[in-house]
Amino acid sequence: MARVWLAAVFVVLLTLASACSPTGDYQILYDQDEERSAKERHPDRQYTIAVVPKREGLDYFEAAKDGAFEAARELGVNVLFRGPETADADAQIRVIEELIEQDIDLLAVSSNDPKKLLPVLKRASDNNIAVITWDSDTDEEGRAFFINMVDPETLGRHLMDTLAWSTGERGKFAIMTGSLSAANLNEWMHWIKVQQQEYYPNMELVEIAANNDSYEEAYASAVRLLESHPDLAGIIGNSSVGPPSAAKAVKEAGKQGEVKVVGLSTPNLMRDALHDGTVQVITLWSPKRLGYLTVALGKNLLDGTLPYDGQFVNKVGNVRVKGDMVIMGEPLDFTKDNVDQYDF
Amino acid sequence: MIFERIRRLRFRSFRLSTKLMITYLLLTVVPISILGAISYYQYRKSIEQQFGEHMPRTLQLANMAIEKRMDEFASLPDLIYSSSEIISILRKEDYGNQSEKLQDEFIVNNYLTRTYINGNNPDIIGVFMATPDRLFASTRMNYAGTEPGQRHFDLGHPLDENGNAKLLFPNELDLRFENGRPYLLLMKQMTDFDNRRSLGTMFLAIRLDFIESVLGELENPEAAEMWVMDREGAIIYHTDQTKIGGTDPRLGEYPVLNGSFKSFTGNEPRVVSVNQSDRYQWVIAHSISSAALTERTDFYRNVTIVVFIVFAIITSVLSVILALNVSRPIKRLSSLMKHVELGNFSVDLKANSRDEIGLLARSFNSMIAKIRELIQQNYYIEIRQKEAELYALQTQINPHFIYNTLETIGMAVEEEETEQVVHMVTVMGRMLRYSLGNDSRLVRIEDEVQHVRDYLVMQKYRFGSRVDFDIALNVDGSRLHTPKFILQPVVENSIKYGLESVQGVRIAVAVNREFGAASGKQDIVFRIRDNGPGIAPDRLAGLLATIRSNSLVHGKSGVGLKNVHARIVMMFGGEYGLQVDSIHGGGTEVIIRIPVIESTESAQEFNQGSERHHAINPNDRGG
Repeated sequence: MARVWLAAVFVVLLTLASACSPTGDYQILYDQDEERSAKERHPDRQYTIAVVPKREGLDYFEAAKDGAFEAARELGVNVLFRGPETADADAQIRVIEELIEQDIDLLAVSSNDPKKLLPVLKRASDNNIAVITWDSDTDEEGRAFFINMVDPETLGRHLMDTLAWSTGERGKFAIMTGSLSAANLNEWMHWIKVQQQEYYPNMELVEIAANNDSYEEAYASAVRLLESHPDLAGIIGNSSVGPPSAAKAVKEAGKQGEVKVVGLSTPNLMRDALHDGTVQVITLWSPKRLGYLTVALGKNLLDGTLPYDGQFVNKVGNVRVKGDMVIMGEPLDFTKDNVDQYDF
Repeated sequence: MIFERIRRLRFRSFRLSTKLMITYLLLTVVPISILGAISYYQYRKSIEQQFGEHMPRTLQLANMAIEKRMDEFASLPDLIYSSSEIISILRKEDYGNQSEKLQDEFIVNNYLTRTYINGNNPDIIGVFMATPDRLFASTRMNYAGTEPGQRHFDLGHPLDENGNAKLLFPNELDLRFENGRPYLLLMKQMTDFDNRRSLGTMFLAIRLDFIESVLGELENPEAAEMWVMDREGAIIYHTDQTKIGGTDPRLGEYPVLNGSFKSFTGNEPRVVSVNQSDRYQWVIAHSISSAALTERTDFYRNVTIVVFIVFAIITSVLSVILALNVSRPIKRLSSLMKHVELGNFSVDLKANSRDEIGLLARSFNSMIAKIRELIQQNYYIEIRQKEAELYALQTQINPHFIYNTLETIGMAVEEEETEQVVHMVTVMGRMLRYSLGNDSRLVRIEDEVQHVRDYLVMQKYRFGSRVDFDIALNVDGSRLHTPKFILQPVVENSIKYGLESVQGVRIAVAVNREFGAASGKQDIVFRIRDNGPGIAPDRLAGLLATIRSNSLVHGKSGVGLKNVHARIVMMFGGEYGLQVDSIHGGGTEVIIRIPVIESTESAQEFNQGSERHHAINPNDRGG
């Protein structure tokens, strides 16, 4: 019996001894990475994002295209940038229909018409394609969120201000807008009128001329405006084709300095006109930045992240979010002093 | 060592007390020691385990605090985006003349000083802004070595692919600040968002006081070390100031970078916890020797060991006492038994306890007492038996009686009474034959009665009409038995005293069956009645006392009666024996009571088994 006892004691002691002795230099007590690594894997699938501008061939949208492709390179997504020949809702619908047939994950549309596009955007959604809008919005049921470049109220009021500074707060003026159906243009126009009514009683809006974002139409309507309103003090170009056409018409009519031209356009288009004094102030944002932001936020949405207020988007900066509208930043003013800093 | 000694001796040959003590040790001290050792070891391990899980989390929190602070620093470069003046200078690529360039440099340096150095951030000791062909700088203290920027900018130093701020550690640069102040360099790519171009790279030199303040908030016993190192192991902060700037050569060996492990590389095992910052790649390490960790446990361990030893000693002493308590009486018992073996029965095993040992001792004592008693009993029975037989023998061949008888015969011969002589000689012969003839103790009543009749006939021949007798045998004398020579001594007494005091003595002997109150059944009763002088009451009491006494009396009166009584009691027990009734001056009656002994077998039994009978019923002894 005693021997059995001794054997048992020895076994216990041996077990203890072996448990005490270290097996190597290090003995892991706790590993946090083990717990984390499990949930950090998700497939790196390459997304395809289709960006649809109002129309192709405009400098503004070409710049946005540059930004979109820059984002495509840096963020590792496929970007298709395709738009209609004209800024026309039906043409845009056809482009979107073609895109739905391709294997795209997200559709970002700068809409020519807030209502007409809704059915086709619905179809895109039904095909499991996420839809957002940029530059110009649709009705909100058509998309997840809208990427706006600036706060429309700020922009509209600011455009009115730039004209008022140039004309000394008096005189008649006209607005050259793109399409009368484009939601963003109409909202800006609304705030231009509000600002004029609130602060500039000596100014008078005499005409709103639509040009469907076509240089030919815009030039024609500018010429017509100058003819029909000989006492016109200024023109506000509400879309990017407006100010260049207006500048050209004013220059040709020899009314440089007499008829002030302000509005939205790109520095590249307006550089000469700014330098020769035909155009006083041009306002815009960086369409490149907008294109980049559109693709970046589109990718985030596909990754499951919605934009949030104050979010820092790399290479874009902090964005603001109001409801389901993302605001990229503040409008930039280009004058003859700073226009050379910009290359879009 | 202990085990070897135990093995050398054989357990079986140990004394009982040793066995008890070893068993106690094996059953209590050893298991408790092992249990204690195991639980202490496990407890230590669980403390390390707990600490090992707790510390990385604390470090992670510290890391997060430092990262948060670092994020604040990382957001500082963005301040320049708000200055369009600076941005437009940075956008410029070529200058018409030197003064224009120097003026811009002045403006930017001025701005950097205002915004960063004189701003709200005392931790920033220098700021550098590098563009492909320009460098702007502003620092809080003098510095030497290559300014950051140009090199990193040109070499396309790996920027964080997301454009996040990135940290450069001093060992990656040859920039040295005054006093060798430890610092980190935060590098951030600045982008012209509008033109989609790079504006340049901003570097912020940050001193490490904030790390110290974060780590200082952690509970940090003196035995612990804490340090922060970069991904190559270069120590940028250490609780031991002298180690800042050195490297931790073992970083590559660490089995985990987020977690904790026990390191056996130094003089003593240490518990090392590490946590790596995801964003900035530095590693915070915390190291404490496991001894320091379990210091308090060790104190309790020592207390426990002392208490355990004290208790072990106390219980060992108790177990020794207990073992001795059990084994000592047994030892004494065995030595006493040796005494008993040698014949000494006057031993006493003292035991006061009521336990099994006391029980054993008491049983032993009572056994010895019983043995002693039995020995004594048998001893006396044997002596008395022998004496009785000797006395009877003396009586049988009493020379005095033979002489008297022969004289009587001689007188008869002189008177020529031939017929009488013949009868007397015949009787005499029969008496002698009865006396000598057979040595069995029991005889038929018939024979005993015949013998007493013969005796009385002989006395009658001698004393003539002075002696008269009558014998009535009322039982089957040929079948029933009686001890030998129980009547003759009584009759002899009667004749002796009767002839001394009265003219003629008359003796009546009767044998009857009677119910005995003492035995509770039918007995045989011999009644010998005489008309002698009787016995005075005080003498009668003395006589009865003599008869019943155990002592052996020689040569006094009543010896014969006593002998008869003693023999009967010895053979049949206290309910039988001899009784004397007497009226002073009116005769005496002696009653002898014996059991009914019918068969020869039972007679045989009584002949041989009287001793056994007494052994079985020791209390039956009379008186």
